[in-house]
Amino acid sequence: MNVLSGVAPMGVPPAAYLFVGTVLFAIGIAGALLKRNALSIFLSIELMMNAVNLLILTYARMRGDAAGQMIVFFVIAIAAAEAAVGLAVFVALFRARETVEVDKVNLLKW
Amino acid sequence: MSAAAVVFAFASGLAIVFALLMVLLKTPVKSVLALVVTFFGLAILSVQLAAPFIAAIQIIVYAGAILVLFLFVIMLLNLNEEAREKDARPVQKALGLVTVVALGGVLLGATLRAPEAPVTRLASGPRVPVADEIPVLGRLLFSDYLFAFEAMSVLLLVAAVGALILSKRRMD
Repeated sequence: MNVLSGVAPMGVPPAAYLFVGTVLFAIGIAGALLKRNALSIFLSIELMMNAVNLLILTYARMRGDAAGQMIVFFVIAIAAAEAAVGLAVFVALFRARETVEVDKVNLLKW
Repeated sequence: MSAAAVVFAFASGLAIVFALLMVLLKTPVKSVLALVVTFFGLAILSVQLAAPFIAAIQIIVYAGAILVLFLFVIMLLNLNEEAREKDARPVQKALGLVTVVALGGVLLGATLRAPEAPVTRLASGPRVPVADEIPVLGRLLFSDYLFAFEAMSVLLLVAAVGALILSKRRMD
């Protein structure tokens, strides 16, 4: 059961999709590590989640199993909840400190 | 080159180029807009992977809701420009670059070396036309994943209430 559509063989080798997903994930890591603005870091994390979604979809397609699509569905729903809470935290942070630069928010560092 | 390969090259090129732009652009608003284009590229790839439903919710939820929320917050906080101070932390930046290259290399090596899963399983299952895919997903959602689905509704409610409480002004 739960077998996905038989849309013939994939026109592109699965490894190509895996390559694109991994490259996007690496770009997301770069953004998360090199940016200093909390919002930009958050954006990079969203990019990483989507890169992983692409990997899951590729493996789901290779296995012909719809369960992979369900996982991606839940990842997207959780990402929506996480974005709402995360952005609210940044708004509260900006109210308190007048900045969202992560370098300037170091109260918990020492 | 087959049509599928052309579409794949276009969509993946779009996604990667605009993801790079997202990281390189200094203005948060431009970063968000670049990420919208990346998500459209990813949605095209999702369609190619026989997941049109996921492609649709990716556009609706990500490009339509989450990134618009980002834009609202950026404009609310008036973040026109990332503070352009002279690089205050060169060591951290160099360490970050080294980490990115090392981690990216390891990930790429691992992904490309992964053994190919048996694609042949596709052929053995009953063939369902693409149009009948959403019923399959719907049945899965309300049977095997029913608990996760209900838990998700509670999570979204909690997140909405939490966001309200976090962002409301202190009542002194």
